[in-house]
Amino acid sequence: MLLASATAPAREIGPAAAAAGAPVAPSVLVAGLGRPAPARTAFAEARFLHMLDRPLVVSGQLAWLGGDRLERRVERPRAEVATIAGGEVTQQRPGKPPRHFSLARAPQLQVLLDSFVALLSGDAGRLQRAFAIQASGDAAGAWTMTLVPRDPTVARTVASIVIDGHARESRCMQVREADGDVAVDLLGALAADMPALPTPEALRALCQGAPGA
Amino acid sequence: MSRGARAALLAGWLLALAALGWTVGRRLHVTTDLRSFMPAPTTPDQRLLMDQVGEGPGSRLLLLAISRPRPSPGSAASTGAGGIGPSMAGGRSCASGNCSLHCPDAGVPAVACTRDTKPSMAGADADAALAALSKGLAAALARDPRYSQVLNGSFDPGALDPGLLPYRYLLSPTLDTQSLDEAYLADQLQQRVDDLSSPGAALLKPLLPRDPTLEVLKLAQRWTPARAPEVRDGVWISARGEALLLVQTAAAGFDPGAQQAAVAGIEQAFRALPGNGGARLELSGPGYFSVVLGAQTRHQADWIGRISTVGFVLLLLLAYRSVGSLLLSALPIASAALAGIAALTLVYPAVHGITLAFGFTLLGVAQEYPIRVLSHRRAGEDAVASVCSLWPLLLTAIASACIAYLAFYASGVDGLQQLAVFTIVGLLVAGFSTRYVLAYLLPRRVHDVADLRWLARVRRWVDALPRPAWIPLLVAALVALLLALAPPPFWQNDLAALTPLPSSLLQRDARLREALGAPDVRYLVVLQAPTRQGVLALSQGLQERADALVARHAVDALELPSRYLPPVAVQLARQARLPDRATLEHALQEAAQGLPFRPGLFAPFVDDVEAARRLPPLTPERFEQSPLGQRLAAMLVEREGQWFGLGTVSGVHDVQALQALGVHSHGSVRVLDLKAASESLVADYRARILQALLGAALLLVLTISLALRSLRRAWHVLAPLTLATFLVLAVERSMGIEISLFHLVALILAGGLGLHYALFFERDGGGPAERRRVLHATIVCVLSALLVFGMLAWATIPVLRAIGLTVSLGVAFHFCLSILMAPHAHAAQG
Repeated sequence: MLLASATAPAREIGPAAAAAGAPVAPSVLVAGLGRPAPARTAFAEARFLHMLDRPLVVSGQLAWLGGDRLERRVERPRAEVATIAGGEVTQQRPGKPPRHFSLARAPQLQVLLDSFVALLSGDAGRLQRAFAIQASGDAAGAWTMTLVPRDPTVARTVASIVIDGHARESRCMQVREADGDVAVDLLGALAADMPALPTPEALRALCQGAPGA
Repeated sequence: MSRGARAALLAGWLLALAALGWTVGRRLHVTTDLRSFMPAPTTPDQRLLMDQVGEGPGSRLLLLAISRPRPSPGSAASTGAGGIGPSMAGGRSCASGNCSLHCPDAGVPAVACTRDTKPSMAGADADAALAALSKGLAAALARDPRYSQVLNGSFDPGALDPGLLPYRYLLSPTLDTQSLDEAYLADQLQQRVDDLSSPGAALLKPLLPRDPTLEVLKLAQRWTPARAPEVRDGVWISARGEALLLVQTAAAGFDPGAQQAAVAGIEQAFRALPGNGGARLELSGPGYFSVVLGAQTRHQADWIGRISTVGFVLLLLLAYRSVGSLLLSALPIASAALAGIAALTLVYPAVHGITLAFGFTLLGVAQEYPIRVLSHRRAGEDAVASVCSLWPLLLTAIASACIAYLAFYASGVDGLQQLAVFTIVGLLVAGFSTRYVLAYLLPRRVHDVADLRWLARVRRWVDALPRPAWIPLLVAALVALLLALAPPPFWQNDLAALTPLPSSLLQRDARLREALGAPDVRYLVVLQAPTRQGVLALSQGLQERADALVARHAVDALELPSRYLPPVAVQLARQARLPDRATLEHALQEAAQGLPFRPGLFAPFVDDVEAARRLPPLTPERFEQSPLGQRLAAMLVEREGQWFGLGTVSGVHDVQALQALGVHSHGSVRVLDLKAASESLVADYRARILQALLGAALLLVLTISLALRSLRRAWHVLAPLTLATFLVLAVERSMGIEISLFHLVALILAGGLGLHYALFFERDGGGPAERRRVLHATIVCVLSALLVFGMLAWATIPVLRAIGLTVSLGVAFHFCLSILMAPHAHAAQG
């Protein structure tokens, strides 16, 4: 019964908001994304860095293991597993000893961790704490959330994070860094659609397009 | 003496005292450096111990923990981010961790509310508040010259000073095994590409153009302590949620006065912080302990002193029924105290606080002289006359006490020598002022104590006591038995046991030390060489074996000086392996083939390598100017033309393995056990004092024999003295007390008092009235001594308790044995 009453308001707001194009409550959106742990999703990431002359593309699986623990398993082009837990990042590549470093060294990493965990667990409070959120769109249809970090130290490196989704699924996450570098993650079903030679414009179109059936 | 003359004499004396007091007040400098009470170190280990314990970095470290009771989850609603709608409140209370699978508020699907959700809101607020306090405190202390270093986690201990960045190729061990050739660079660059697509990219991007092989990160990993606390919100937060700080004071650990000022400064700075309501600051560390103990000792000594002074005054009033006598008898003691301090200010540049404290108890012997004079007054007789008859005995007593205290002078310890000067001068002044000044001031009208009826009864009873000749033998046998049966060990060697701290403080210290990864204070690895570079070379040679020890978990961490700075020879070898600009550029070009790096990206890297090829090797002097170099400076110490490197050890699990580092090194590598060195120091100290005591005892026998002109009479004085002293020792041992230096000092004090009793009881003749007066005087002296020292025996501080118990027992035993072993009074004359 609780579940029904919880989703009912979302449905009610949906069509009206879609009609008006009015901003929709971020909490509703985020809460709708929540999954029980472990929540896994496929991803494909394209990074556009100024110091490189072509984008870096990786793909694999993201998993939220509950609490503050995130696992990022890269399968292509080179296998690598990164686990973030207890304030420490552990990177493991086959044939090499694992590397550890503390999240404290990189507050922007903490921010990314927060955003991923919030998205996968549906913890709206956590997201609100770290970011100022603006949402637009329709909770039952296509929506976009723009997250701007509250902490000024973090804002010096991460300028904004834009998340596109549809209903209760997030499809696309674009991280824009202050120095102009962009990282675009395609999540879930969209991950398979990553082009071989992506460009920022192509990816943006993909993100904002309607999902297949 | 006429009343006018008497008044003039009194006025003159008071004036003299005032003048003396004023001079003393102007010239007196009190120091609190505990090292003047420690014997001069003789072995090199002991010298290092004194340095380290007094001035070493470990002794100057204060550990701080700021804790705040966590706000309740509901109360967090009003704080935090703005723009939160009503539906958020439900989500937040759910997120505070106290929810089950049911979420009471609408708008939050039950599935989002799981037990795994962290108490983010409430916990984070507390953390942020603590972090703000920690940063505020660190900023306030960093401005204060009393603190040489303040760490709270916001400063990265592994960070190399930017001015020294090009040196990273000389400091990092990479070039020992690799050269910057195409193969190595290709591997490194490929790894960097992989890194750039991993979560670590954020760390890497600023470094990459200048340092593609990540030497800076390798150095940071090398230098970051093995166990550092977690960093949240930019500061160290312990597992219990306290903000942790490490403060190093400029003042040495052995200087309680300066440590007190440092601790007070920290507490003051904390109270001045905004928003510190409800937060608690806890301190730990050697300096803090000495402050706590000092305060405790002073507090106890104060209230004990107050009670015993009141008791003393009451006792004298009761005994002599005359306020005037009481006030006058205070004058010789006051003169003794002031004269003693004046003598100290003349002879020594600074007087130690402990000397003053101890000296006043030793002067408790001086109260005997006025009491003896007061008790020996006869009705109708001038006090002068009674003093004259008493004087030879009093003089013997004074001389003997001074000889006993000469033993302190011979101990060779600065503080004890001051003590000797203070008490000898004080006793002499008390004795002579009693004889030559007090006697003239005492009023003629006096209650002759010989008339007291209860006194007569007691004296008759005492005289009638059986005094078999075998009493000394019995007591001696008892002493031997008790000493033989007492549980070992005999001597108290542990300095720590003399001033133990409450276990809660010790536990707090252990917890904070472990959380902060601060090194142990017990073991040090000592490297000795004629030059600094020699020490660094020794250290470099030892590095491999040290790493092996850590890998085997024989120790948790072992830090040697060469970890921070390799010797010049090693730096030059690494420098020689750096390629020149053309070779490096070619290798880079080949290595970057097929990789997406923009051409020209690594120009800063090539520049840095080129600069590193021309740099002069980094010397300790240059390195010590950077913040990280402070750690190295603490590890390299010069003593008497030799350089010592000090390696710190944490978490020793296998002492033998650690000691094995020093084998085959011909003494240039040693593992110093500070506890063992301090115990050997205590043992040496004790041996010296015992030798001095022996000398004083021999001198005493001589003096008393000469004064009494008869060995038999000397026996009646010295035998009870010796027996009573050993009896006290035996009784304390049978109680399980280990004998420490303070017990020895107290035995000397009790002996000084007992000597007076024995001398007076031994004295024959003078008639029954005189004998009654002797008894009265002795009873008053014994009671006053028991009052003062018996109160001390109730103190919780072991030093005070040792002195109080020993002197109380000593006074009681001396009294009894002196009576029992005095020559038999003729019953007919009773």
